[in-house]
Amino acid sequence: MEPGLLDFPSLGLSIAVKLLIMVGFFLTAPLVAGYMEHKVLAHQQDRLGPMEAGIGPIKHGVGQLVADGAKFIQKEDIVPTAADKWVFSLAPGVALVPALVVMLVLPLGPGLFGENLGAGVFFALAVSSVSVLGVLMAAWSSANKYSLMGGIRAAAQLIAYELPLVLGAAAVVLQAGTLSLVSIVEAQADFRIFGLLPMWFVLPHAIGFLLFFVASLAELNRPPFDMPIADSEIIFGHMTEYTGIKYAFFMLAEYAGMVVLSAIATVLFLGGWYVLPGVTVPELINWVVAFFGAGPFEFHPVVAGLLGVGVTMGKIFTLVFVMVWFRATFPRLREDQLQRMSWLILIPLGLLNIVVIAIAKVLA
Amino acid sequence: MNDVLTAADIFMLLVAVTGGAAAISVVISRNVVHAALFLVVTLLSVAGTFLMLGAEFLAWTQVLVYVGAVIVLILFGLMLTRAPIGPMAQHNENGHLAFGVSTLLFLFLCLVIFRAFGDVRLDLQYTGAAALGEVIYVEWAFPFMALGFMLTVALIGAIILARREEGEGPVTDLADEIPARDSRDVTASPGAISAGARAPGARAAGGGSAPREVQQ
Amino acid sequence: MPTLPKLPRPPQIGLLKGLGVTLKTMMSPSTTQQYPHVKPDLPPRTRGVIALMEENCTVCMLCGRECPDWCIYIDSHKEVVPPKEEGARARTRNVLDRFAIDFALCMYCGICVEVCPFDALFWSPEFEYSTYSIRELTHEKEQLRVWMDTVPPPPELDVGADLPKEIEDGLKAARQAAEKAAAAAAPSEAPAAAGKAGGDAPAAQAAEEDIHVEAQVDQEVFDQLVAEGKSERVARAKAKAAYVRKEKARIRAERAGGEG
Repeated sequence: MEPGLLDFPSLGLSIAVKLLIMVGFFLTAPLVAGYMEHKVLAHQQDRLGPMEAGIGPIKHGVGQLVADGAKFIQKEDIVPTAADKWVFSLAPGVALVPALVVMLVLPLGPGLFGENLGAGVFFALAVSSVSVLGVLMAAWSSANKYSLMGGIRAAAQLIAYELPLVLGAAAVVLQAGTLSLVSIVEAQADFRIFGLLPMWFVLPHAIGFLLFFVASLAELNRPPFDMPIADSEIIFGHMTEYTGIKYAFFMLAEYAGMVVLSAIATVLFLGGWYVLPGVTVPELINWVVAFFGAGPFEFHPVVAGLLGVGVTMGKIFTLVFVMVWFRATFPRLREDQLQRMSWLILIPLGLLNIVVIAIAKVLA
Repeated sequence: MNDVLTAADIFMLLVAVTGGAAAISVVISRNVVHAALFLVVTLLSVAGTFLMLGAEFLAWTQVLVYVGAVIVLILFGLMLTRAPIGPMAQHNENGHLAFGVSTLLFLFLCLVIFRAFGDVRLDLQYTGAAALGEVIYVEWAFPFMALGFMLTVALIGAIILARREEGEGPVTDLADEIPARDSRDVTASPGAISAGARAPGARAAGGGSAPREVQQ
Repeated sequence: MPTLPKLPRPPQIGLLKGLGVTLKTMMSPSTTQQYPHVKPDLPPRTRGVIALMEENCTVCMLCGRECPDWCIYIDSHKEVVPPKEEGARARTRNVLDRFAIDFALCMYCGICVEVCPFDALFWSPEFEYSTYSIRELTHEKEQLRVWMDTVPPPPELDVGADLPKEIEDGLKAARQAAEKAAAAAAPSEAPAAAGKAGGDAPAAQAAEEDIHVEAQVDQEVFDQLVAEGKSERVARAKAKAAYVRKEKARIRAERAGGEG
């Protein structure tokens, strides 16, 4: 694997820089996602959402989640008497850590990634599937029947939707011929429909993208697949008994999960840091500049990388926006409808998609 | 060189000790859910071991399949049936026997491994997913497909075993469109009314799928 | 023939329509009023707080008795009023000592306002009187008098509606007085004094009531009141009243000019 921009000659330095960037990304991106959820949801419901808490002179509720975090820290940490204390306390961490670990392999810009693993897609999907363990631990250890119901639903949902998720990603892997996330982005830059039109994988893999996106909604327990935390039926599922900072961890895990799965979808289907199919931001700028007769500019790799990060983030938050949009629009499915949708529609569709992609790949 | 502990060695040792300790905890834990959670630690340690041995793909498969799916299934089963908080009341009399058998098995496996690989030093190298794929799908293609076929047969067999014969229980079909208060509510409990004895309306609703099942 | 169960239908176009609805809602501006920054524009009959016009109160106790949760406290004493004419009997009069409404108990049913026969109680749209202590929610008559300033003028009557009872009475009295004056004027030489004393004032009142003025806010008065620190609603109410008064005076002057 070729080293990225963050791989310095000194191992310790590169690890430190990577950790710093990863933690920074982890602390900011979910907050942006959460803020988006607050505001977008509010406006789609003809409200204004948070308007007061702000950072400095900027109001419009930009500091709402920070204020919420401060509030959560002050709250009493209640553990039910009948709860299994160790498992109860560990569960929020188990739910949160996988999202953090996956961020290690997300390529955000050209050369800007923690580690370019040979089996990056596989790693990301494998680790993100672990977070349901935290849900199950919380559900069982709360000693609350609503929590337990939520846990059972979450488990059933995860088993059903892990498969469409992997099938959607597998078709892309088949097309790109690599499991590395960075190489998949590069493969999309070279990809041409019928050898002519450059296009991201989202068009030939429209079905795969749909499968992946729907399945990731279900994995994250996002509406319309939020039966495990359906508040009108089982209070708040596995989070019923949680208060304070532990509850905040679960919420953070949800927002981090949104960001991570959107990032994976961006890398797999939406061409990562390429602003147009096969065109990076510096190339686009040079094209525009050349149109007006100016000479091409040289971009420092770091600048090019940061521009790429901007594009990736734009795509990620577009997908997060769609997730919130779905939440505002669609009513919750019933449990049996959810299972039927996965096993009878999504999984056969995914298998068919793989067969079609494989045939097309061999013929091309 | 061989005597110096590298960082990898220390990590390997750590993973091995954690995995071993967790494995013992799985067996001696009185709480069945705790045992399942210790099993997670054990399986993750195994994944870590794979990783240290350069089998990256195998490690992630371990995580995806065992931690992400099998353990979830185990916990799902436990929660669906019984999930007591606190230690289980019943005592298993076969504990001593199991201890003896497993100790013997462990010693036997150690013996076999030491006899076979005792003085072999493996030259560890990273095995990429592409290389692994080549081995599986080119060199060992036939055994792989045979294995896949076998698993499919097992899956279909399981479905056939689990499927109710006609008249044995409720006819499961696309129940979404069946009117309310239909047969499913009544026959959900075992020993309920058989399919033939049901009301004509319910029969009509289930009638669409019955001939299909006979064909299968 | 048995009917086949319906197959699960394909994803409906309704899913996309729903997305369109939410997107359109997001694009359209929200109607939310940011309350502490933007004061709500409440209708004049809003039940905000109850105001007391102490001068009108006769301590009849009807309000206190009708109050479903007994939140009105009234204390009074009797005073002897000396007779107006020589040799007449002295009369007693009720004097209000305390009139308090406990707004912690009040459920804003408005029965007291409805039941008051002397127009001493009014609804005011003022609502910002929450306190940190429940005791301060018992408003004494001084406070209730302050709320009186925030009571908006009564809404205009509908076209063709009956005139209020007191005006009807006034008109009747004016008519009677005029008739009496006319009867007296025929034989007498000095009708002017009687006419001035008995007939003119009600007649002028009646004429005034005929003048219909569409209520508008007098911007000048409004700005002045706001500058004085009055709340916007109070200022608006007073400015409207001022406008109506001024307008009526103008029309009256015009008519007087036209007649004269």
